[in-house]
Amino acid sequence: MVIIKRKELSFIEKLYLPQIFQALSHSFRAMFQPRITRQYPEEPLPTNEVTRGQPRLTLLEDGEHLACVSCGLCEAACPAYAITIDGHETERFIEREPERFEIDMLRCILCGFCEEACPKDAIFMSDELELADFSRAALVYDIDKLKRPREELQGRIDYFYQVNDRWRTPSSTS
Amino acid sequence: MPLPLVWLIKVVLIYGGLITVAAAMSLAERKVSAWIQWRVGPNRVGPWGLLQPVADGVKFIFKEELVPEGANQTLFRLAPILSAVPPMLAVAVIPFAGEVSIGGHVTTLSIADLDISTLYVVAIGGLGIYGVILGGWSSNSKYSLLGGLRASAQMVSYELSLLLSILVVVVLSGTLDLRQIVNDQAGPIFAWNIFALPVGPIAFLLFVIATFAETNRHPFDFAECEPELVGGFHTEYSSMKFALFFLGEYCAMTVMACLTTVFFLGGGNIPWWPDAPWLLELTCFLSKMGFFLFLFLWVRWTLPRFRFDQLMALGWKVMLPIAIANVFVTGALLSLGWFA
Ligand code: SF4
Ligand code: SF4
Repeated sequence: MVIIKRKELSFIEKLYLPQIFQALSHSFRAMFQPRITRQYPEEPLPTNEVTRGQPRLTLLEDGEHLACVSCGLCEAACPAYAITIDGHETERFIEREPERFEIDMLRCILCGFCEEACPKDAIFMSDELELADFSRAALVYDIDKLKRPREELQGRIDYFYQVNDRWRTPSSTS
Repeated sequence: MPLPLVWLIKVVLIYGGLITVAAAMSLAERKVSAWIQWRVGPNRVGPWGLLQPVADGVKFIFKEELVPEGANQTLFRLAPILSAVPPMLAVAVIPFAGEVSIGGHVTTLSIADLDISTLYVVAIGGLGIYGVILGGWSSNSKYSLLGGLRASAQMVSYELSLLLSILVVVVLSGTLDLRQIVNDQAGPIFAWNIFALPVGPIAFLLFVIATFAETNRHPFDFAECEPELVGGFHTEYSSMKFALFFLGEYCAMTVMACLTTVFFLGGGNIPWWPDAPWLLELTCFLSKMGFFLFLFLWVRWTLPRFRFDQLMALGWKVMLPIAIANVFVTGALLSLGWFA
């Protein structure tokens, strides 16, 4: 058992009034401090290559075809079952490409597993974070909404390889 | 211009002013709280968020009116009215400024000049508690009931100190007429009742503390007390009925701020300038009133809430004895000719 000896308050302290006035002056001074609010739509959140925003599909250099070969690895890796892929054969060198590639942005938890699973550098996390629409159906993004030229995602791609290379070097695992 | 028209103008002006102040207070509450917490506050509706009260009003109107099952229908509907109307009635006798000339008639800037207006204000102001009690009781909810009971216990205890500190002012001025009390404090700043040493400052402090308890404001807002009672007496209220409770609270705050100004800070008097033009007097009155309204907000966002037993102990064991002693000292000093 611990007996706690409480400090006896002096008469002035029991009045509470000095403390009340102190607190009032403190809160009055707070009214003239700089504001810490971010006026969100006008002042967007800062993003950089580490930001794990919504996944996006990269385009090949021709700017027309997706890098995706419809292997389905990202679909399998996705813990939220957000990705749906239907592939079909193509005459192009890569032989297969997605006919339908949909990510349900309402299901996506922005985990980045799809990015790590992809063997063809076809899907990367962008810095796009804003997600609002008037219906659920509009938030299931198809290829048209997902595709991005590779240059737009270049920062993230470089960062991704930098991180992966660190894990690959033997010295870091020894 | 016929006399009834003059009265009508005064009524419209003063009530319009009261409602405007109450609406502005609902915005000021959020703005001041934001400033104290380093935030910005509502700033999307209109310039600097000034139209926020209008947006709130529109939203309130479109909300669903819920009446809980098992509630006493009549009293449930009556309670918000009962809490909003008394403070609006009380504002009728507040002397905002001296003599004004409206359309050729020289008249005073208050709706009515009763010679017992102090009694009138106190009596009408005391009715506001019924709205809270009935609202709490008729909602058929344990939280509301507890909130209503607490509010009534608290208001009854603090009303005593409130009245006793008003009594000091009445004894000092020798009249129950608010306008006489104001006129009595004209002249140098030391004529204000707050400077009537030694009893004035004490009565002022007691009065201000009691107004916080009377209007159910922090740190005495046990009627609402969100962490324990959800919303207190207005837990079950929605839509315009809820808005009426709020309107009542802000009107009561405004009336209390007016009364503090009248009783202790010389009403619209400007020190050393007894016959200032009425517009300046009105401005002076409104700025004093505005300070006390700001004080309500300032204290709310600074101090934590009391515990209920502490609140009762403070009311009965500290404030009441001091208030009674204060009245006795005032009487004794007055008969010794101290204030002459
Ligand atoms: S980020 Fe995660 S949840 Fe989103 S699509 Fe990729 S794997 Fe699925
Ligand atoms: S893992 Fe890459 S290549 Fe395979 S389906 Fe997904 S995006 Fe396409």
